[in-house]
Amino acid sequence: MTSLKRSVDSDVFASNISNKTYVRSTRSGKVQKIVREVYLRTDIPCSSKLCKACLADAPRNAAQEAQPFVLSEKPAGTKAFPQGHYLVPDTNAVLNAMDLFEQTSAFYDVIILQTVLEELRNRSLPLYNRLVGLTKSEDKRFYVFFNDFRQETYVQRGHNETVNDRNDRAVRKAVKWYAEHLAQTKTKSIPAVVMLSNDKENLHKAKEDGLNGSTLREYVSTLEDGDRLLDMVAEVESSGGFQKQGQMLYPEHFSVSKMMTGVKAGLMHQGIFSVSPYNYLEGSIKVPAFPKPLLILGRENINRAIDGDVVVVEVLPQDQWKEPSTKIIEEEAITKNENADAEGSQDLVSEKERKALQDEVKKTQKGSSEGRPQPTAKVVGVVRRNWRQYVGHIDPSSASRATTQGRKQDNVFLIPMDKKIPKIRLRTRQTSELLGKRLLVTIDAWERDSRHPVGHFVRSLGELETKAAETEALLLEWDVQYRPFPKTVLDCLPKEGHDWKVPASTEDPGWRDREDLRDLLICSIDPVGCQDIDDALHAQKLPNGNFQVGVHIADVSNFVRPANAMDTEASIRGTTVYLVDKRIDMLPPLLGTNLCSLKPYVERYAFSVLWELNENADIVNVRFTKSVIKSREAFSYEEAQIRIDDESQQDDLTKGMRMLLMLSKKLKQKRMDAGALSLSSPEVKVQTESETSDPIDVKTKQLLDTNSLVEEFMLFANISVAAKIYDAFPQTAILRRHGAPPKTNFDELSEQLRIKCGMELRTDSSKALADSLDRCVKPGEPFFNTLVRIMATRCMMSAEYFCSGTQAYPEFRHYGLASEIYTHFTSPIRRYADLLAHRQLAAAIDYEAVHPSVRSRGRLEAVCKNINVRHRNAQMAGRASIAYYVGQALKGKVAEEDAFVMKIFSNGFVVLVPRFGIEGLIRLRDLAEPEPESDFDAESYTLTTSGSREVKVELFQKVKVRVHDHKDEATGKRGVKMELISA
Amino acid sequence: MPLDTSTYSLALLRVDGRRWNELRRLHAQIRIQAAADGSSYLEMGNTKVMCVLTGPSEPQQQQQGQRRGQATAGGGKDAAINVSIVVAGFASVDHKKRGRNDKRTQELELIIAKTFASVAHTHLFPHSSISLALHVLSADGSLLAALLNAATLALIDAGIPMSDYIAACTAGSTSSYAAADDSADPLLDLNTQEEQELPFITVATLGETDRVAVLNCESRVQVSRLEGMLAVAVDGCKEVKQLLDKAIKAKGAKMIREGAAEKSDAMAMDLDE
Repeated sequence: MTSLKRSVDSDVFASNISNKTYVRSTRSGKVQKIVREVYLRTDIPCSSKLCKACLADAPRNAAQEAQPFVLSEKPAGTKAFPQGHYLVPDTNAVLNAMDLFEQTSAFYDVIILQTVLEELRNRSLPLYNRLVGLTKSEDKRFYVFFNDFRQETYVQRGHNETVNDRNDRAVRKAVKWYAEHLAQTKTKSIPAVVMLSNDKENLHKAKEDGLNGSTLREYVSTLEDGDRLLDMVAEVESSGGFQKQGQMLYPEHFSVSKMMTGVKAGLMHQGIFSVSPYNYLEGSIKVPAFPKPLLILGRENINRAIDGDVVVVEVLPQDQWKEPSTKIIEEEAITKNENADAEGSQDLVSEKERKALQDEVKKTQKGSSEGRPQPTAKVVGVVRRNWRQYVGHIDPSSASRATTQGRKQDNVFLIPMDKKIPKIRLRTRQTSELLGKRLLVTIDAWERDSRHPVGHFVRSLGELETKAAETEALLLEWDVQYRPFPKTVLDCLPKEGHDWKVPASTEDPGWRDREDLRDLLICSIDPVGCQDIDDALHAQKLPNGNFQVGVHIADVSNFVRPANAMDTEASIRGTTVYLVDKRIDMLPPLLGTNLCSLKPYVERYAFSVLWELNENADIVNVRFTKSVIKSREAFSYEEAQIRIDDESQQDDLTKGMRMLLMLSKKLKQKRMDAGALSLSSPEVKVQTESETSDPIDVKTKQLLDTNSLVEEFMLFANISVAAKIYDAFPQTAILRRHGAPPKTNFDELSEQLRIKCGMELRTDSSKALADSLDRCVKPGEPFFNTLVRIMATRCMMSAEYFCSGTQAYPEFRHYGLASEIYTHFTSPIRRYADLLAHRQLAAAIDYEAVHPSVRSRGRLEAVCKNINVRHRNAQMAGRASIAYYVGQALKGKVAEEDAFVMKIFSNGFVVLVPRFGIEGLIRLRDLAEPEPESDFDAESYTLTTSGSREVKVELFQKVKVRVHDHKDEATGKRGVKMELISA
Repeated sequence: MPLDTSTYSLALLRVDGRRWNELRRLHAQIRIQAAADGSSYLEMGNTKVMCVLTGPSEPQQQQQGQRRGQATAGGGKDAAINVSIVVAGFASVDHKKRGRNDKRTQELELIIAKTFASVAHTHLFPHSSISLALHVLSADGSLLAALLNAATLALIDAGIPMSDYIAACTAGSTSSYAAADDSADPLLDLNTQEEQELPFITVATLGETDRVAVLNCESRVQVSRLEGMLAVAVDGCKEVKQLLDKAIKAKGAKMIREGAAEKSDAMAMDLDE
């Protein structure tokens, strides 16, 4: 065994051993005491390129490679430290100012201590991951110094010393060691070692020890572009000095242990807090204990929870139960005139809010004769904040006029784009520059004495309403990864680039186990202008009278090897995002639009599903193979339809397409018979000018037979593949399921249909639902059925990817498609799940060995979780983009359109305009001036107004509205505004 | 919560501050219990085990079948080796009691019994049995390795002839199976946290040779990493053997000094060591 790699002699333990003891409590509430050994050593390098001593005994890995040293020999200097400096931030500095550390203009040569890293991991995993990412980037020069493993810098926690004090001491000790250690190098200019901390006591003690210390604010202000960076310093640290008037506006949150005990005892409930899109003071929380969500009403009960946070609630006494609000309350309108500076002095609930609440109470009490108050709850604590970065703009009315010049710091409000997020208070010195811009901010804290959360500015995206800024804003808002592909990813592409071809010789390794299907008459059918062609089809009659049908999918897995940089990037992106004017690719365009794309007239690698079907479209047999194909033509849906309909075309390709169409109709019929739902969402297409991509017009999407042709065969292929990979990998197959919706989801809709239209919505099975939806028709009103379908769709669960081992077989069912098992296989260029399915299918047919990442269940589950989120976000971003462009298309125009009433409140109603696929809110005060008196009958969903204008609005009613765009001068926000013409 | 094993790549330091090829502190003692025929106490880091040996003695009448870990080479010609392991309730963090019929414990018993049946010269003691009672006082990773080492010491203490020491240790790999990272370093002597997060093998060799007596792998690991892990483990075993040897010699020297044993002429050992 001479080939065995041998280890070097490990040095005799000169080290000391210490123990680290800590106590943790498990999820079930048990307390565990954990003891860890710590081996203290003297060979952990300082990693400064100045230091020769450390370089000599730098540690080596098993391949005998030492890690290169990180910290530069000539670090940048500042006014205070002209000789150059290394930074040593403490935990709070990193926690509050991560965005600063990621800046490219400053913050180089940073020493991250192990103490800091550990504490950060405890406090926030996302920040920890960002910091680790920074330490891996070469140009930022971040070095992790394991101070708790180095003998000289190790600090034992003293008797009666708190963990925080111990950590602060450890940081100071490490700073001291670094300073002394660097002094030993005897070079001419020794860089200063500067501790960054916001803790006054820590800084004070550092001064006593003769160390360099600075607060973030002081430090940043000595930098060159300090003013700009200063805004990014988190708010919490500076708030210490200037207020504390002691008036607490919100009740205190419970301690974690109190919440856990409460939840365990069933007296409190944990869940994700969500805010009503129509009323910012009304939230709801779905908890496992009750079938229906609990209501949370009012600022005080919401108690600083923000949409998405995981909170614990307590049910309120029955006399405080209420009906859900039938009123629209918008934060912007009600709190318009609040002053950002005079925060603490006001009462928690402002006068106007109080008034809105009074009306609410009146309403409830009037309705209480029917007596259906719903249980309400109040938030008693937050388990986990789900804060992200928010996009918004500064409320111009909150900025005082005087500050348009000068550099005085002042408080302003930021109105987030997402209506569910409350206003955020910012402190900035550059109000004048930031007004009218799209901004990215993060929330730092929400203290009890502050009515609004406090945040800080991250960066500006550009002018409001410019295409670039708005597009970036919605990408950020939906967390879409839109940065260009890094070099490591591009390095994974084939070297030939665009000249890559299927090898001519069938002896080439690329041809291994591939079937030559080049002589089949294959074509692709896609939307107009589609560049990333995932799929192509063919059909031919077999001698025995059956049909051979093939679905050919781009063989992306041939180019994207598992676990390389490109694969990792794709798995993070999860899906391609389609915006009106832009496509954010999952894979580099070379692959997506060229090498993988099944373009016509060229040879391409494909993954083929080949069926033999009989006259009734029943499967005689199915097989899967990797192949090489040559598409004969790329049709658009319209072209394909015309060609099929044209009787004069009698060539084999057209005949094949007719066969496909015939079979697809049979498949569809079978699916419908099995109870598949045809659902609906308002879909429109924005037509843009080709040069400037300015929107010209909005069209509703048309559906042709050929659309459903392609769709049917894709579903068919997906189902066949799902069965195959589940058979091969019962534990790890990647599948897609659509849960049956809980019955209660349909309660409201079926009630509405029963009362308003006398129709019955049956929801006991997907078949029953499909049939009853078919019966929901109003003569002479074709859109009514679509409207009901749109509303039914909103009651459904969303479909999700999952790993087969995590669910029992009956749970695999796809409710909407009425299929027992389903996966995504047909769009690997734009969806990561399909790529995984390709790999699993390739392994299932013994084409290649299964890669570990495709069969480790934990990893697959993590991937599924990510792509589910990404998929949803991509849809939302796409819709937001359409909404923005519809608004732009309407700019300066006024249109009169038909609309349907979807939802009714006591002071307004929501209409859907089918022509534009947009929903709009019409409030009573928009109807006439002064606001008409109204009478709202919640039982029959009718709103009758009297006085200045008399109309009667009912649910599902068809109304005429005037649609025009509108810019709110106060907020600078452009939106679509609707006015009722006639009911 | 302290850092996890993924930080190794940041500075080539493991969760407890060791490098990839370092053993934990190993402390060994023999003859800790005068009443037993052989006994030992061994610590590998925070893994602490004790072994008490009885035998060779007449076998208990009909040892309740073959239930407990035992290995006989048939017909009673060789001595039977019976191993029983008791894991103390306080040995691990969760304070979970392992019952007598715990399958994992039984498997460990069987591995240990089989290993020593092949190394000890059991044919010298026909129709007799050797019972090893192993007690786990504290479990912090590399449990099987520690048990094997402790059993070796007890057997030596009891004076049962063996062809060589059995020296054992574990080896792992710095990144998990699914990470598919081919540049992963091998690791020596894993603690609990590392065992939970990383793939690992347990290896025992015959003395300082390259002959592997035990190779046990319960986690999924890439074949390409196995060679490196095995090489590191074999080297680790040699180190362990030297440490065990030192403990035995120290005890021997002490006994001679105290007059508990006589110095034989054939002994080339230096007492002043």
